[in-house]
Amino acid sequence: MPGDARQLSFPPGTELVFGPQAARRQFISERIAAVFRGWGFTEIILPAFDSAETFAEAGEETELYHLVDREGRRLTLRADFTLIAAKALALELRREPRQIRASYEGRVYRFAPSGHGHRVEQSQRGLEWLNARGAVYDAAALMMVRESLEAVGAGDAITVVGHAGFIHAVLGEAGRRERRLYEALDHKNPSRIQQLCQRVGLDAGTAALLEALPLLTGGPEVFTAARAFKLSPPADAALAELEGLYALLRDAGAADRVLIDLGEVRRSDYYSGFMFQIYHESVGEELGGGGRYDRLFDRFDMDVPAVGFGFNLARLAEAASQGGFAPATPERLDEKEGSAALKRIHAMRSQGKPVQLEGGA
Amino acid sequence: MLRMALPTGRTLKQAAPLLEKAGYAPVESLSETRKLLVPSKCGRLEYLLVKPVDTPLYIEQGVAEVGICGKDVLMEVGADLLEPLDLGISRCRMVVAGRPEIERRLDNLLSPVRVASKFPRVAQNHFRKKGTPCTVFKLSGSVEIGAVLGLSHYIVDIVETGTTLKENGLVVHEEIAECSARLAVNRAAWYARLAELRELLSNLKQAVEGD
Repeated sequence: MPGDARQLSFPPGTELVFGPQAARRQFISERIAAVFRGWGFTEIILPAFDSAETFAEAGEETELYHLVDREGRRLTLRADFTLIAAKALALELRREPRQIRASYEGRVYRFAPSGHGHRVEQSQRGLEWLNARGAVYDAAALMMVRESLEAVGAGDAITVVGHAGFIHAVLGEAGRRERRLYEALDHKNPSRIQQLCQRVGLDAGTAALLEALPLLTGGPEVFTAARAFKLSPPADAALAELEGLYALLRDAGAADRVLIDLGEVRRSDYYSGFMFQIYHESVGEELGGGGRYDRLFDRFDMDVPAVGFGFNLARLAEAASQGGFAPATPERLDEKEGSAALKRIHAMRSQGKPVQLEGGA
Repeated sequence: MLRMALPTGRTLKQAAPLLEKAGYAPVESLSETRKLLVPSKCGRLEYLLVKPVDTPLYIEQGVAEVGICGKDVLMEVGADLLEPLDLGISRCRMVVAGRPEIERRLDNLLSPVRVASKFPRVAQNHFRKKGTPCTVFKLSGSVEIGAVLGLSHYIVDIVETGTTLKENGLVVHEEIAECSARLAVNRAAWYARLAELRELLSNLKQAVEGD
């Protein structure tokens, strides 16, 4: 046993949880799992690493963790669940085309510079809903998000919904080529958006809309605000789709704490339709997110419309209130009582009651 | 009440009149107080006074919902924040500077360029984008001397008027970015406190544009 505590520490960014925090995490994870099961989802257990190409889109090359196996193959630690789940389920869908409801839990690994409190290892629980075509599934996914948040005591979290198709249509071909425009939109930076619109040579109408996007956040009034701008037919169609989704949610009584953000661009290259992020006031970063990716299976020459989302469990645990989480108090038994203690434990456990055999150091 | 992280020093001096004009005068002078938390007279804001380089972290972690940060600091820290307003104050340029003759010499250098900077991340990113290998030395001040005395080929620093460079016989070789102070907002707070933040944004925007 090394005497120096430094030798017992783990590299920065790794995730180590023990004691009451771990119990809370487990409680949260089980609550969400129960919600997913309640909607007919079954578990999929996925590999922790795969060939590098599976995760090529999951992040910058420098963000991924690579390893080389004994036969010299280049592998990547799981950096994203959707990409590896899609690959796994593509095979299943080829065998038998049908709707698939799969939920997963585990870690993803992505490099994060130290000093920001970001983790390299992140635990997620999420789901993939494959062959789920149409707005009814979009609304259903958002209802599941709401139900999950409430089940873990984070019902006051906010779901922020945008549309990848809208952003792509507004940017047009020229705008989409300028990665920095996405960055500027992501940071809701109107002066930078203006500068880049000029540089790219976008027309005045488009530039005016792009500059306004950072403030097109709020309730259904943002649809009206967006319509004040001249929209191209595809942009208009995407907006109508989002409006339809909002109406579905409202009619289902699930539009509370849903905000529309037409300027949302995070991971818009990944999604094809609606997309969302979940935020809570007490946590600076998103608790999770998801959306629709109808083109994800193109790479397997398959047409599989899909929705999915995932929660970041560590951040969710920070946001969740303590309410509802009350571990049962066990009956304590001393090791010194020997066989009497074991007899008592046997009786208690056969009734499913909690016990704690104690002693030791 | 929203909490606003403010950087002490140069930016604070220029931000204070702007905040006052926008209707958020502090209950006591921000540049004279020794307190770290000072409310505004209107009760809608609480100012958190911190070192400039720390402001993005306080906002990113949600300790303050909003704050004022120099673009130079935002670039260096790489914080993931919203930047809905350019306040137009604390204007400066982030540049690559060095002795006038240095550039020609570098054409023939295959070994890494040596760069001294208070902004090592900005410097590293800039040279990497150009495909130039570089070794960055992090200095805390008087960066110019690095290039004057040959510690480094170049410096990456912010310049306002360029007087310090000139006095040290250095010239600007490249401009990396134009910097100014920004209103920076925490992502979660933007959605959770939307109405309050919109009001603040609109008042500050009027104060900025009213100049």
